[in-house]
Amino acid sequence: MKIITQKHLQEWLSRLAGEMNLVAPVNSKGKMIYREIKSPEQIAWGFERTKMPPKNWYFPMTESILEIKQGKETKITEPPEPQKTVIFGVRPCDARSVIAFDALFLNKPPVDRQYARHREALIMIGLSCPQMWDTCFCLTVGGAPNSKEGLDILLSQVEDGYAVELLTVKGETIFEGVTFKELAIKVDEPQIHNGLPALRKSDQWMALFNDLYWQKLSDSCLSCRVCSFVCPTCRCYDVRDELVALKPGLKEYERLRAWDSCTATGYRRIAGGHNPRDTKEKRLRNRFYCKFMYYPEDYGSLGCVGCGRCIDACPVGIDILEVIENVDHLLEKVQINV
Amino acid sequence: MTKMNKQIRAAAEKYLKDSIVSCVIGYEEDSRGRIRPAFIEDAKDADRLIWNATCNLNLVNYLHQRKLSPGKDQPVPKTAVLVRPCDVRSINLLISEQQIKRENIKLIGITCPGTEINGQPRTICQFCMERTPVDWDVLIDSDQPIEIPSAEDIYEDIKEMENWTPAERLAYWQKEFDNCIRCYACRLACPGCYCYECVSEQVDPHWTSIALDVPEKMFFHVMRAYHLAGRCVGCDACEAACPMNIPLSRLNRKVAREILEMFNYKTGDDPEEAPLLACFDPHERLRT
Amino acid sequence: MTTQFEPKIVSFLCNWCSYAGADLAGTSRISYPQNIRIIRVPCSGRIDPLFVVKAFLDGADGVMVLGCHPGDCHYQQGNYYAQRRYAIMHKLLEFTGVEFERLYVDWVSASEGKRFATVVTRFTDQIRELGPLKLNENNKYLKEKLPEVAL
Repeated sequence: MKIITQKHLQEWLSRLAGEMNLVAPVNSKGKMIYREIKSPEQIAWGFERTKMPPKNWYFPMTESILEIKQGKETKITEPPEPQKTVIFGVRPCDARSVIAFDALFLNKPPVDRQYARHREALIMIGLSCPQMWDTCFCLTVGGAPNSKEGLDILLSQVEDGYAVELLTVKGETIFEGVTFKELAIKVDEPQIHNGLPALRKSDQWMALFNDLYWQKLSDSCLSCRVCSFVCPTCRCYDVRDELVALKPGLKEYERLRAWDSCTATGYRRIAGGHNPRDTKEKRLRNRFYCKFMYYPEDYGSLGCVGCGRCIDACPVGIDILEVIENVDHLLEKVQINV
Repeated sequence: MTKMNKQIRAAAEKYLKDSIVSCVIGYEEDSRGRIRPAFIEDAKDADRLIWNATCNLNLVNYLHQRKLSPGKDQPVPKTAVLVRPCDVRSINLLISEQQIKRENIKLIGITCPGTEINGQPRTICQFCMERTPVDWDVLIDSDQPIEIPSAEDIYEDIKEMENWTPAERLAYWQKEFDNCIRCYACRLACPGCYCYECVSEQVDPHWTSIALDVPEKMFFHVMRAYHLAGRCVGCDACEAACPMNIPLSRLNRKVAREILEMFNYKTGDDPEEAPLLACFDPHERLRT
Repeated sequence: MTTQFEPKIVSFLCNWCSYAGADLAGTSRISYPQNIRIIRVPCSGRIDPLFVVKAFLDGADGVMVLGCHPGDCHYQQGNYYAQRRYAIMHKLLEFTGVEFERLYVDWVSASEGKRFATVVTRFTDQIRELGPLKLNENNKYLKEKLPEVAL
C-alpha cells in the first residue's frame, strides 16, 4: 500500500495548485463548501460532508455555451476550453455522480460538448469516509463509504497519513514525483449504518404512480429548487440567449445555461402556457420517479448517490430515505393484494 | 407531553370532528426528530401535532394553496392554521390584499416564547414586544415563561452596518450573495410572495438573466425586499428556509425600520387598511 | 492624453414636466453634459424601482428620476406614489452598498429649463467623482449595454 504523510500531501497539493485549478473543501462561516484555493492552508480538514456537491466544476451553475455576435454578419464562437481542474477531498458518493452524468451527457448521443470538455479537464482525488454520517445512505443505492467509482485517486486516512490508491491513468500521471512509502498497512473498514431501507427496483415503481401517497407527501413542498441544487446527480438546466452587449450596429448575445429544477413551478411549462406538471404532487412525484425509475430505465444509472444533502437542506423536511422506505412498504401491500 | 401540545391537539381535533375546517396546518416531528409542517385532515391524526422552538416557518404561506375554490360551484376550503404573533400579521396582510377571507380560516394562536433559526434564538424574537397574536380563534399559552424585553432594539446589527462605508456594505452583501444558489426557497416560504410569475423569472419583460451570478442574485434579493416594503411581517421564514444561512432578515428589517420611521406603519395591524404603497398623503414631503 | 472616466447616467423623465423642461433647456441653447441617456415615461409614477435596479445592473453609474412638483402631476397623484417608492428604495439601495448619491430623485417642471441643466450638470459631476459602480465589476456576462459617450 502506498502511504503518504500529511506533510507530503500538502506539498503535493501546493504543487498542483501552481500547475492547475485546485478545488478543495473550505470553511466559509461555519459551512463547508468546495472552493478554488491557492494554497492547501485554506483546506478545512476533518469535514463530514460539504453543503454543496462539487458538481459545479463539471456542470457549472452558469455556463456560456455559445457567444453570438450579430452585426452585418452573424458570428458564433464557442467559449474557451476549461482549465485543467483537480478537485481534492471528493467523497465517494459525490464521485459516483459522474457515473450518472456520463450516462446522460456522454454515453447517449448527442454528446454534451461542454460537459465532455469539463470531464476531460477534470481530475478527482477522493477522500474515503471513515464512517457513514447522520443522513448518509450510500449503501442503499449501490455505493459505499470507500467506493472507488468515478475517482482518479482514492485517499484513505491511516495512522500518520493517507493510503493512496491510483485508479486511472490521470491519477497516476498527477501522482508522479510525490514522496511515498510502501507499507503493509490495512485500512480500517468504515462504520456503516445497519438497517437502511431497501430500494425497490425501477420496474416495480410504476405500480405506485397513482397512489395518494404522493399528494400527501407534496402538501408541504414549497416547489423551491433546493433539493436539486444540492444534489450531486441532478442535472436539469435552463437555456436562454441573454443580451450582454449593445453597440451601434452590433448585438452580442451569450447562450447561457443555468441550473434549474423539475420541482420548480414553471419548469415544465411550455409555449402556450400548458403545464403538464402543474401541481406540486406531479412535480415531487416526478423527482423521485426520475431518480429511481426513469433514469435507470432510460440511461442505465440510478439518479441518486445516497449523500443525504437533500434531507438536510429541505426547508420543510421532505426525506428521500423516508420515501424509499414508504415505497417499500406500500409496494408490499400492493403486491400482497395483487 | 406538554400542556401546549395537548391543547393544540385538542383544538385541532375539535375543529376536524365538528367539520368546522377540512384541514389543520401545524407541525409534526419526523422519524429523525426534526420538525416539519403537517397537514391534518382526519381528527384521529391530530395527535401528530406538536410545537417547539424550532417551529420557525410561517404556516400562513400554505393558505395560498387553499384560497381558491377547487372546482365549479365548490366552496373555498376552510382551514385552521397554527400561528405565532408575527404569522398572524400575514393573515391581516393577505386579507387586506384580498387573497383570503377571514371566515374561511380558523386561527390557532399561541403566545410565543420565541423561535430559533439554525440553533440560535432569532434576533427579532429576543426583542419582540408582541407575544400575543393580534387575532385568534383559539389562544394557547406557551409552556415556557415569556419574558417581554424592556426596549425594542431589533435593529442593532443594522445600525452597525449603517456605520460602514458603502464599499464595505457592498462587499458584505456580495460575499453573502456569492453563497446564494438562487433556489428561491426564501421567496416560496414567504406568505407575502405569491406572484404567479416572479420578476426574476420573467422572460417578457426581461429583467434579469438566468445566470446564478452575484449581480443577478443581488437584483433578486433587493427587488424582493423592495416588493415586500410595507408587506413584510418579520416572521423570518425566508431566513429559516435558506439552505445557505444567508442573513436575509437584515434586508427586510432595514426596510421595515425605515417604513416605521417614515410612516409610523407596521404591517398587519388591521385587515381593513389599504396597503402602504397604494396610498399617499398629499402633504408629506419625504427625502427621496 | 489621459481618458477621464465618463459616467453613464440613465434618466427617467416624465413626459409633461421634466422632459418638457429638458426640451426647454435644449431650445434655450443651455448645454448640459451628454452623459445622460433619457427615457421618457408618461409619469414619474410609471417608474417601477425595477427600472432603476435594472439600469444599475446594465451598466449605469447613476440614475436620475425627475418628475413633476408635488401637486402638479398631470395625472394628479402619480408623483406622490413615486415619492413614497423612492423614499424606501433609496434607503434600501444605500443599505446594499449603492451610494445614496447614485440615485437622484427630484422635481423639475416644464418651465425649469435652466434648472434641469443645473441639476444634470451637478449630478454628472458627482458621479464622475464617485467613480464607476462597483456592483458590476466582476460581472463576466455584462460587457457593454450602454453605448460609450461620443465626446
